Amino acid sequence: MAAHTLKKSIWSLGRIHCHIYGVNVRNPLNRATYATALSTNHSSQNKGFPDRGNKGPFNRRSRREAGDPRTDRMPVDQDWTTVYPTATPFRQGSVPLPVRMGFPVKKGVPPEKKGNLELIKIPNFLHLTPLAIKKHCEALKPFCTEWPSALDTGAKCDEHFPVKVECKDYVSAGTSLRNPSARIVHLRVSLSACVNYDYAMYLLTVLYHESWKMEAWESEKTVADMEEYSWEDSPSQKNIMSTLVRMQVAGEGEGEAVREELLGRPEVQEYRDSVTRLKNEGESESSMHQYRDAVKKVLNL
Amino acid sequence: ILKGQRYIYSTRLSGDSEQHQGQYYTVPPSHFHTVFPHGLPPRYQQQVKTFNEGCVMVRQPALELISHLKRADYSKPTLRYLLYGVKGSGKTMSLCHTVHYCSTQGWLVLHIPDAHLWVKNCKELLPSSYHASRFDQPIQASNWLRNFRTTNENFLSKIKLRQRYVWTKRESTEEGQPLGELVDMGVSRVKSSSDVVGAVLKELRLQAGGTEGGFRLAVAVDGVNGLWGRTTLKKEDKSPVAPEELTLVHNLRKMINNDWCGGAVIATLSQTGSLYAPSSAYLPQELLGEEGFDSMDPFIPVPVSLYSEKEFESCYLYYLDRHWLQHPHSQTEEGKKELIFLSNRNPSVLERLCAFL
Repeated sequence: MAAHTLKKSIWSLGRIHCHIYGVNVRNPLNRATYATALSTNHSSQNKGFPDRGNKGPFNRRSRREAGDPRTDRMPVDQDWTTVYPTATPFRQGSVPLPVRMGFPVKKGVPPEKKGNLELIKIPNFLHLTPLAIKKHCEALKPFCTEWPSALDTGAKCDEHFPVKVECKDYVSAGTSLRNPSARIVHLRVSLSACVNYDYAMYLLTVLYHESWKMEAWESEKTVADMEEYSWEDSPSQKNIMSTLVRMQVAGEGEGEAVREELLGRPEVQEYRDSVTRLKNEGESESSMHQYRDAVKKVLNL
Repeated sequence: ILKGQRYIYSTRLSGDSEQHQGQYYTVPPSHFHTVFPHGLPPRYQQQVKTFNEGCVMVRQPALELISHLKRADYSKPTLRYLLYGVKGSGKTMSLCHTVHYCSTQGWLVLHIPDAHLWVKNCKELLPSSYHASRFDQPIQASNWLRNFRTTNENFLSKIKLRQRYVWTKRESTEEGQPLGELVDMGVSRVKSSSDVVGAVLKELRLQAGGTEGGFRLAVAVDGVNGLWGRTTLKKEDKSPVAPEELTLVHNLRKMINNDWCGGAVIATLSQTGSLYAPSSAYLPQELLGEEGFDSMDPFIPVPVSLYSEKEFESCYLYYLDRHWLQHPHSQTEEGKKELIFLSNRNPSVLERLCAFL
């Protein structure tokens, strides 16, 4: 199975390559003639400036002359993997292709590869030609085990391995390594494939009882950790209680009895419901109206 | 010129009766300087200058507030009212209307025009002398005290202090002195003005609704959501300042609690000028945050909606009458429909549109 997908990826890469370069690199033995963009007589010593005899500005004593680019000496059937063994930026002297990239200024053509920053900036896959990948695979083969020959169809895989775990990794350029979507792991079980019903029931029973056990650290749960808003012991309850006590709604008296009596009143219950709805469900015109009516009733307006 | 439903504007209207809903009432010019030295929205102030008069539309939210204020029992803990609504729907104007009503009824008005001004753009932050970890804002405090003095001149001599306040080794304000002296001291001695504000608020809180010489206190705060949340101010070591570390904010929060009686707290939420709030937020919990909501709870939310049909008509006729709409097309029925469509009956958008015409 893995070999299948690998092959597919090689061919797709190869196709992408052809698409980019427009040259048939699949078959290096093909003696295709190509025109190099290298031309003109840059071999003159002058470099455009009159000879000052090693004096004056822009002078660097014993400056080594830049030689011919490597592309001049490349045979057509060379081993490309030695030219680009690893991921390296684009070197125009090492790539024997007349690539052009950039915006054509004044109805011209895209600029050539010599001194072209655009080509250097972009990522290139020159180190991942099909031949290179084949070599990688060959090198990895001693470390791989054979795919079991008995598992040659999808149905057989499902039968023997009914539980599938899918993890995703994300790669992006950004300020942080982490991607919260990478924490999601999918575990798939096909219910019709459950062979061991008793074991499954046993597991579920164990999980159920385990979930009821309280760990010591669970008592440290703070208000910010709560999944939903509970009105008891919230600032809202304290506020309304103190307001009502001060308004002496329940008559004279202090203490637990008064509190209980107040809590039992329907207006207070309504107020509690409206605040809980506001906090849990979020706000909307209707929940605001409900809160308004509840407050008016509670405060006797 | 449409003559159908003629709106009435006159000084006779007191602006607080239900049947005049949708109509304009005029604020007497003398009141503008005393009641609103700093409270009105800037565009409205320009309009007042242009039209040479200040007309306020009587709208449902303000009427509701006024009716609550009339019927409330002032021996019970203070009621908090919160005006909320989308941007430009008229919250600040409703607040100003209510403030004007309170001042005509003889209440003491504590108007904070924009609480957001106290949590951002402060050039000077002094460490407080009274409390080690807090910060003072002398400029904002002295400005506010000056405006407070203009609004409540007549109360300043009547209210006497109940406690002695010591400012420095040589200066102190004795018990029994009138409040005016405290305020004057705060305006002149800018360094201790934030503490003076705190003292003023405390005195008013203690004395409002009292049996001897009792007065009613209206605390009107615009942009109250600025008191909770974050500030843009930084300490010297570049760490952010929390709102409760500012003396002014700390004292104002105490004012908004309902542990005193004899008055009302009327507040509006404001997204314009708020910090770190998305521009589409207008509902109370979004702008107040959890902490703010828990402090304000229980409060009475008063929604302020966009103009209704009748209110839009009234506003349109008012602009026509003042010859504000000069463009000939705007005076036709078609033009009116265009205005409705473009502004979606949003008061501030309509005002800005008409300014071009």
